Amino acid sequence: MNFAKLGEKGILGQPPRLIYGSVCFLVCLLLLIPIIVHGEDEFSFELDEIEKKPLQWGGYAELKWEHMKINQGSAFSSLNLSDPSLSTRDRFSGSLQIDGRYDQGIISLNWTLKAAAQQDDLGWADMTDIYETYVSIKPTPHFTGVLGKKAYKWGKGYAWDPVGFINRRKDPNDPEEALEGYITGEIDLIKSFAGPLQTAALTTVILPVWDEVNDDFGEINNVNLAVKLYLLYYDTDIDLIYYSGNSRSTRYGLDFSRNLAANFEIHGEFAYIPDQKRVRLMADNSVLVEEISATSWLLGLRYLSENDLTSIIEYYHNDAGYSKEDMDYFFQFIAEGENQFIAARDDSLLSKAQDLSLKGYGRPQPGRNYLYTKFSQKEPYDILYLSPGLTTIFNLDDSSFSVTPEVIYTGITNWEMRLRFSYFGGGKSSEYGEKLYRNKLEVRLRYFF
Amino acid sequence: MRCRHLFKIAKKTLVITFFLSSVWTAAACALDGNEILRQVDENMQPQSYEMYRKLINIEPDGSRKEFVFYTVKKGQDKMVALFLSPASEKGRATLRLGDNMWLYIPNVGKPIRITSLQSVVGGIFNNSDILRLDYSLEYEAEKVTDQGDSYLLDLKAKSPSVAYAGLKMEIDKTTLLPTSIDCYAISGMLIKTLHYSKIKDFGAGLVRPSMLETSSPLYKGYKSVMLFAKIKKRELADEVFTLNYMSRVDELR
Repeated sequence: MNFAKLGEKGILGQPPRLIYGSVCFLVCLLLLIPIIVHGEDEFSFELDEIEKKPLQWGGYAELKWEHMKINQGSAFSSLNLSDPSLSTRDRFSGSLQIDGRYDQGIISLNWTLKAAAQQDDLGWADMTDIYETYVSIKPTPHFTGVLGKKAYKWGKGYAWDPVGFINRRKDPNDPEEALEGYITGEIDLIKSFAGPLQTAALTTVILPVWDEVNDDFGEINNVNLAVKLYLLYYDTDIDLIYYSGNSRSTRYGLDFSRNLAANFEIHGEFAYIPDQKRVRLMADNSVLVEEISATSWLLGLRYLSENDLTSIIEYYHNDAGYSKEDMDYFFQFIAEGENQFIAARDDSLLSKAQDLSLKGYGRPQPGRNYLYTKFSQKEPYDILYLSPGLTTIFNLDDSSFSVTPEVIYTGITNWEMRLRFSYFGGGKSSEYGEKLYRNKLEVRLRYFF
Repeated sequence: MRCRHLFKIAKKTLVITFFLSSVWTAAACALDGNEILRQVDENMQPQSYEMYRKLINIEPDGSRKEFVFYTVKKGQDKMVALFLSPASEKGRATLRLGDNMWLYIPNVGKPIRITSLQSVVGGIFNNSDILRLDYSLEYEAEKVTDQGDSYLLDLKAKSPSVAYAGLKMEIDKTTLLPTSIDCYAISGMLIKTLHYSKIKDFGAGLVRPSMLETSSPLYKGYKSVMLFAKIKKRELADEVFTLNYMSRVDELR
């Protein structure tokens, strides 16, 4: 096409300058569009991202592989394994947690559902459970009423909560996991003030225990009461806790938490249980259910160093725990049970030991004095979203311990990868020396949605 | 003789006047600096408000991580921020009452005390950036430099619990809005630089930057951008800023 000739009159009869101008404008626009679009896209904040919907839900799906080395010959391997030659165990598991909320005015319905399945040499096992489902009503910011199944996490401790009188027991190696609740009715009152007392809040919980309702809490056919008074006084969190009811014995608690500096926090808990019941194996292999006046307390700190190392250290004492001598009797009893089984194929002592294990000797940290430490380094060597950590639990009575190094990476949005190794060490007749496993390697992958 | 005496009196008067005027000027500058800072706070947000923010962490390879959170503030020292996304952080809330800070994680189910220097989300931003109170509450103006179109304020933290020991804040003279802030550690080391941009009308007379870009010599190649939306004045009960309320902050939206 001869543009010079066209230029004299132009196509469609337009003056040539206008055509050249239009072409140039279109070319420039075409070249600019990606820049404009990219510029808009680069940092945009759309309002639909923040629009609130009455129904909200989310959760995570998890895959986990664990490789355990069996602590052959240990007390708990004798108690739990039918095949004594087994040296390792691999376990694959998957779980799904779905939580959500539906809001309608001052009323909201909340839920947390959990499903899990695992496969190992023992076979396939699965579970589904409603961890929480409750209705709450909030007519004013001062008042909340709750009815339904709800999990309570009272106490300031990271690894243990001696004052968590209506809590489920948490795993000190995974204290941040969701736990199943109890069916309760709750009233929560909050009041703020000017002056040294900044906040006061009173939480009152009614926890019934009937057949098929909270029957794992304690003795059935009782209605129990738990009360927590929270005060923020002179920049210190203080909780005064009281529990009364016939499902468990009456108990009193106090906890506190305070920042001593911008990077240094201390916390503590103290619980007094005048009539704590305890199942105890005696030297003559008889079983005694005794009532003791027990105090249980915890003192801890959290410190952030200049190079972003967070340290959590907690000391825990529990009067109701078993002494070294008590644990010695128990481990000896298992050994006798095993000898009896080998000699006469009689498993009565081992069955009794299993029952004792469920009634207290086999629970996590059954002893009296523990030291917990957790160190986690935020983004070492400027590697963003990477957090290596080291957790240790020492049984101070028998000098046994667990050491758990781990690495967590959260660099991919909504994914969390965790690699963890646990080693259990200790001598004969010690808590960690008699564990089922000597060590455990774990790879966990979580996707949040 | 009389002339000499008069000369002595004049000399003394001059010295005293010079001394007094120097003292007055210094005092006036200090006052002006704090007044400018108070004006900056007033121009940046109402005393009690709600707002939405998006934090974008950008890595050297261009990959991004985005966080959206909802914030409410009351008075000078009460503030709470709730994460709305991504799903892995959703429901996390951080509360600040003066120097006290707590973090609530839905799975953990109870608030735990945290330090202002800790990072909740990873990356360049820390808790203090997310739960920042008024500049004039946390900092004292030590020096004001007139730079023509802008002021440069040298600010010193009023208490050691503040995340940055010192700030150098550049303020546009016409709008009295900050344009850039250098944040320093107590050692004098530059920790990060903030750049405010994209002035936007948020309504009700609030015209302020809608974007904050952050870079840090400690994280070379990394960048963080914070976008602001729907900042508006809101009156809230004091009880909203308590531990018992942390699990319910979303109900305010």
